[in-house]
Amino acid sequence: MGYINAILILGGINVIASLGVAILTGYTGLFTIGHAGFMALGGYMSAIMVKELNIPFPLALLIGGVFAGLCSFIIGYPAFRSRLRGDYFAIATLGFAESIRLLLNNTKVLGGLKLGGAFGYMNIPTHTDVYAIVLIVIGALYFAHMFVTSQYGKNCIAISQDEVAAEMMGVNLMKTKLTALFISAFYCGIAGGLLGMYFAYLSPSFFTTVPSAGLLAAVVFGGIQSLIGPFITAFILVLVPELLRSFAEWRLIIYGFLFVIVMIFRPQGLLGYVEMNFTFVHVFWNKIFHRNQTGASEG
Amino acid sequence: MNSEMINPNETLTIRNLTVDFGGVRAVNDVTMSVQKGELVGLIGPNGAGKTTVFNLITNAFPPTSGQIMLNGKSILGVSPDQICRLGISRTFQNIRLFPQMTAYENVELGFHSVPHYSIAEAFIRTPRATRIEKDTHKKAFELLEIVNLKEHCDERASSLPYGLQRRLEMARAMAASPQLLLLDEPAAGMNEDECKDLIKLIRLIHETMKYTIIMIEHHMNVVMDLCRGYRIYVLSLGSLLAIGTPSEIQNNPQVIKAYLGERKNA
Repeated sequence: MGYINAILILGGINVIASLGVAILTGYTGLFTIGHAGFMALGGYMSAIMVKELNIPFPLALLIGGVFAGLCSFIIGYPAFRSRLRGDYFAIATLGFAESIRLLLNNTKVLGGLKLGGAFGYMNIPTHTDVYAIVLIVIGALYFAHMFVTSQYGKNCIAISQDEVAAEMMGVNLMKTKLTALFISAFYCGIAGGLLGMYFAYLSPSFFTTVPSAGLLAAVVFGGIQSLIGPFITAFILVLVPELLRSFAEWRLIIYGFLFVIVMIFRPQGLLGYVEMNFTFVHVFWNKIFHRNQTGASEG
Repeated sequence: MNSEMINPNETLTIRNLTVDFGGVRAVNDVTMSVQKGELVGLIGPNGAGKTTVFNLITNAFPPTSGQIMLNGKSILGVSPDQICRLGISRTFQNIRLFPQMTAYENVELGFHSVPHYSIAEAFIRTPRATRIEKDTHKKAFELLEIVNLKEHCDERASSLPYGLQRRLEMARAMAASPQLLLLDEPAAGMNEDECKDLIKLIRLIHETMKYTIIMIEHHMNVVMDLCRGYRIYVLSLGSLLAIGTPSEIQNNPQVIKAYLGERKNA
């Protein structure tokens, strides 16, 4: 049971972070390979809040998320001002995340706080359990859905499709992109906080480019302009390594192979452009209901 | 008349507009004015700098020198999105729709490029936000009906036939409720019948809906028909060649020369 719980919790954390990246990469079209950096920022912040200041855990998570979101402006503002896009923006985020990691790696003590440097920040109270994760994942999915279907989200989609046309139609590129970046960093910050309060310690080595690339992979693999695609893929990306534990060395090779296959046959991702909606529930319901009615009339 | 004075009815004023791309002078000392309610034509041979003028008006890039004013206020250095909000909206020569969005969503975007509710309302979707969404929905459908695309509203923009994409782009531009509509070759690639429909549509937009329009067009019958009673500007190699009513332009020897070249033994 503990093992399954662990998979659910780690999968849930990955899902939350991926939903954030889905908003930025899937919907706004900005590629990132540095969102583990925002997980680190949010994670350390909320861990400090819980451990040093005894702030209740949901509030600490929120503070961590907002902190990560605010930090995203440090990279977002100059990058969007100089109109970095595509690979260039991805590299900027990569550099940002790496500098965060290296800073944490080399900061043993910060103003009386024992961050522990490369050894990690120890003895964080553990609050993350399956119930909290399920609740937060549902909330994260709900709010992400609300955002991408709102006028703000549609402006993001417009930017991803044709930036010039969007700007000429009156979309403020800077504001819209910064909003998307803030939300994605917020989600990752929450995910980082949950991670710290699950493992009871945080180490800079959690936040290398590997998890960053994993988040991007979940979105690209799961599908552009889709929430449910990254949702499923992010969970699978946690689950599959567990299933493939017996051939651990082959894991990354199989990964790479699968990615190439998907990119060749479905460049838009497995569920690309498939909006998460529940119309199929309605259709199904109507079908049953309708059949019952006709059945009744026949009988 | 004092040239510094600005007519209060003047929607767009362009003075001595010049732009250099490296050593090439793409637009050279162009002066134009558009009165409220006019439908002004902008014609000229390929490479004359017509689209460049549009790009300068919408600040896709800055001019080297000159003045551009909307209702008497300079719009130089204003960002493209803000220019759109100030009231200049355009279509593109090489159609720039949002390809994966539906026809309806394309038009809808024109209405909400500046969202009408706060970000917090977006997350919680308050009744006010829902009401605004419904309102936008209604307005977008009205526009789709005007351009005759209602039955295509759920199709992706990229899957629409070429002529309909042009109409959709016009609807999207109108959704921003501009004071000045810039149409960049609305009839490009259309056959005679489609041209006739288009003339009807532009006339509707101009006369019934009272839009002020500048139109770049290569189909002479379309320009001459629509701009009857108004002015046509002729650009050639970046400079203004002639200004006048359609009949004046048609009989202007310089314009004929620019389009057809000179007879060697004339």
